Amino acid sequence: MAAMLEFDHVHFGYGRAVILPDLSFTIEKGDMVALIGANGAGKSTVSRLCNGLLLPSKGHVRVTGMDTKKVRTSALARKIGFLFQNPDRQICKNTVYDELAFGLQVQGVSEAEQKERVEKALETFHLDPKWEPFTRSRGERQRIALASVLIHEPELIILDEPTTGLDYRECTEIMEYVTALNREKQTTVLMVSHDMELVQSYAKRVLVLSGGQLLGDGPVRQIMKDEQTLHAAKVMPAQIPALALRFGDTFSDVYTVADMVAALEKERG
Amino acid sequence: MGNILEFVPGDSFLHRLNPITKIVLAFLFCICSLLSNNLLIQVGLLAFLMIIAFAAGIGEKAMGLLRTLLFFCILMIILQLIFMRGGVGYLVLPGGFPLVTSDGLYYAALFTLRIINATLPLLMMFAITQMNDLTNAMVNRLHVPYRYMFILTTAFRFIPILAGEFHDIMDAQKARGVEFDTRNIFKKIGLIVPLCVPLLVSSVKKVDSGAVSAQVRGFSLRTRGAGYKAYPFRLGDLLALLLLAAMIVLLVFFG
Repeated sequence: MAAMLEFDHVHFGYGRAVILPDLSFTIEKGDMVALIGANGAGKSTVSRLCNGLLLPSKGHVRVTGMDTKKVRTSALARKIGFLFQNPDRQICKNTVYDELAFGLQVQGVSEAEQKERVEKALETFHLDPKWEPFTRSRGERQRIALASVLIHEPELIILDEPTTGLDYRECTEIMEYVTALNREKQTTVLMVSHDMELVQSYAKRVLVLSGGQLLGDGPVRQIMKDEQTLHAAKVMPAQIPALALRFGDTFSDVYTVADMVAALEKERG
Repeated sequence: MGNILEFVPGDSFLHRLNPITKIVLAFLFCICSLLSNNLLIQVGLLAFLMIIAFAAGIGEKAMGLLRTLLFFCILMIILQLIFMRGGVGYLVLPGGFPLVTSDGLYYAALFTLRIINATLPLLMMFAITQMNDLTNAMVNRLHVPYRYMFILTTAFRFIPILAGEFHDIMDAQKARGVEFDTRNIFKKIGLIVPLCVPLLVSSVKKVDSGAVSAQVRGFSLRTRGAGYKAYPFRLGDLLALLLLAAMIVLLVFFG
């Protein structure tokens, strides 16, 4: 069975500037992967290569076996839900109802099914159908954008720095929706972020990108403790695992505040 | 479109000219191109433009602009070839109907060159002049109110920003399944309408934040003498203007 997402020796550049010299990795169905790296590492380029907004100059990107060079972005949109950092680029209708229905209309979904799916999304995401999206807060606009992405029930969700500019509650809400989908429907998630606390809380696997090259690829707990790789990628590690590393082997399983409290209490006897 | 008005840094004789001289030169060159119906003279004017572009270090940029202008001229070239039926016929179809004629080719070339010669100098002027210098020189030397020049230069600055924003919005809509990548041009035009909403919203937000940022930086306190750079007219400005004036005189009598 084909992988959900496959980068096969992908080379990409803007003009003479090479962004990705030779990138290969595979993401299987049901995985929840974080792509981390400093600004300019090539994270957004990778996310845009996934749905054909950018095409590799060499190599191949395949989504469920479909080569992005051979399939149009609008066709790939049936399989991939892409949440942009700025929700205002996605929202184009004057009410939340119309906004949610718009994506279904362009994909030729019947009116009865549109109504059913929109009403379900409104309930899931706690949205009012009469809201005017552009007058709502940033967090609410991001939630509307996410609802309009997830209403298609994509097999792969790509989140391009989805929580930038959101407060803790808004950020948690967005990530909880996505995690629930991943858990319940085995939806594959690729989140692009440089917020390590967020990555540690929600990702299962982490890809570390630097200068367009993959410096690390492994389970989130392994990468969180790999300070050398994170340092090379100019990414600040999450605070608790970094602190646990300083305390030595006894704290090797400490990743969260709760872990740390438990380990300290055990130390005190 | 984003790159058309982009400034190309340099220290050539053209870069060093007074910004006002550059505007006047660009307009005088436009007049030159309108004064002659002679194809050879138009070719000569274009060659002259390209020589000074390469001498000023903006040759590559000028070639890019030339290609863009040629693209915009395609429709006009086709119309000239279809409707100008005089002269010798070429590519004669069965039935004796010539696909193109010598007059069609001549006028297509003439009007294309004329449009390029009338437009290219102005675009080249933007390539060798920074917007700030253009604004300050107009305010200091021509006493144009700063407020109006600010509006003008902001409008120019917004063109590449809005083009970038439009591109990003289009990407976002493609990613949700809107078929902007369709080959049907009419369908594509119909799909662009929904893009106007996010583009308008982001433009209004940008204008609003731009206005606030200008206010907090003391926009309303700015006077004509507030600029720290002087824009004197030098001998080079006079010589360049005299050269263009001489060209106009020659074209009036011999063009």
